[in-house]
Amino acid sequence: MRYSYGIMDQRKILLYKPQLFLKSRDLLVFPSADFRNWHGDIKEYLDGLFQIDFQEMGKREPVNFTELNLALGVLNNITEELESLFDRENVSLLPYHYLSTLDEKYKKPRSPYTSDMRRVDLQVPVISPELKYKHRMEMVEEANREFTRALQEKKMKKKDP
Amino acid sequence: MRVSEGVPRGRVAEVYHPELFQENEEVIIFTREEFNRTYTSIQRQLDYIVKVDLHLDRSEEWKLMGYWPKIMRSVHRIDRDMDLIFKKEPLQSYLDAYLYEHIQSSQDQVPVAERELIPTMEASHFHPLY
Repeated sequence: MRYSYGIMDQRKILLYKPQLFLKSRDLLVFPSADFRNWHGDIKEYLDGLFQIDFQEMGKREPVNFTELNLALGVLNNITEELESLFDRENVSLLPYHYLSTLDEKYKKPRSPYTSDMRRVDLQVPVISPELKYKHRMEMVEEANREFTRALQEKKMKKKDP
Repeated sequence: MRVSEGVPRGRVAEVYHPELFQENEEVIIFTREEFNRTYTSIQRQLDYIVKVDLHLDRSEEWKLMGYWPKIMRSVHRIDRDMDLIFKKEPLQSYLDAYLYEHIQSSQDQVPVAERELIPTMEASHFHPLY
C-alpha cells in the first residue's frame, strides 16, 4: 500500500513522499506512533491465533470447542480494535508497542486437504475401462438370472392348473 | 484514535481537522481508497469466521475438524492484509482471489484415483458392450 510519513507544520502537513499522492484526492491521516501501536495490537492478537493453531497441530488431535471459543474471543478483540481506529474518543495512552517476532514456522498455512481425506481418497478404486466392463457384465448377468427365474415361474404356473 | 481526512496540494497536504494534531507531530498518510479496501477486506474475513461459527452445530464436534482450516485461512488473510499496510507489494484486496497464498493446491496431493476419473478420448470410445 502507498503510504508516507509527514510532519505537521503550521496546521499543514509536510509530506516526505509527495510523489505517491499525485493522482489521489482523498488522504487519511493518523498520528504515526498511535497507528504503529494499533497495528502492533492487532498483530499480537493474530500471533495468539497462530499459537492456538500450532498447539492444536502439535497435539495431533482435532480442535475442540474450547479452542474455538478462545479463538473467537481473540477475533472479537480484533473487531473491537478495528472499530476503535475511527473512534476519536478512544485514546491509547499506554506506551506499549508490540513487535511481532513470531517465527514463520508457526504461521505455516496448511491445506484443508487433511490426512483423513487422503485416506478416504486412497480407498476409492481406480475406475478403468476394464472395471466398467466388469460392472456392466455383472448387471447383465443379474438381469439374465432374474429373467430366467421369471420364465421358470411362468412355466410352473402353466403346469400347475 | 485521532484521524483526519485531507487533500494533497503538491508538497504539502491540507487536513480537515488540523486541531487534532500537535505542532511538529509525525503523522502517517494513506490514500483513503486503498486503506478502505484493506479495512473492508479484514472485516469481510472476520464476518466470514463469525458466520462459520454461527452455522456450526455445537453438538457435533467432529465437524469442527473440517471448519478449522477454513477459519485459519481467513486468519492468514487478515495477517497478510495487515502486513501489506507497510509493504510496497500490490494490494491483494483489489482482486477477487488471493494470489500470494502459500497453501499448496490440493491437486498434487490427490491420489491417482481422483485424476483417473477425468474421461480421456480413449476411454470414451471404448464401448465393450456395443
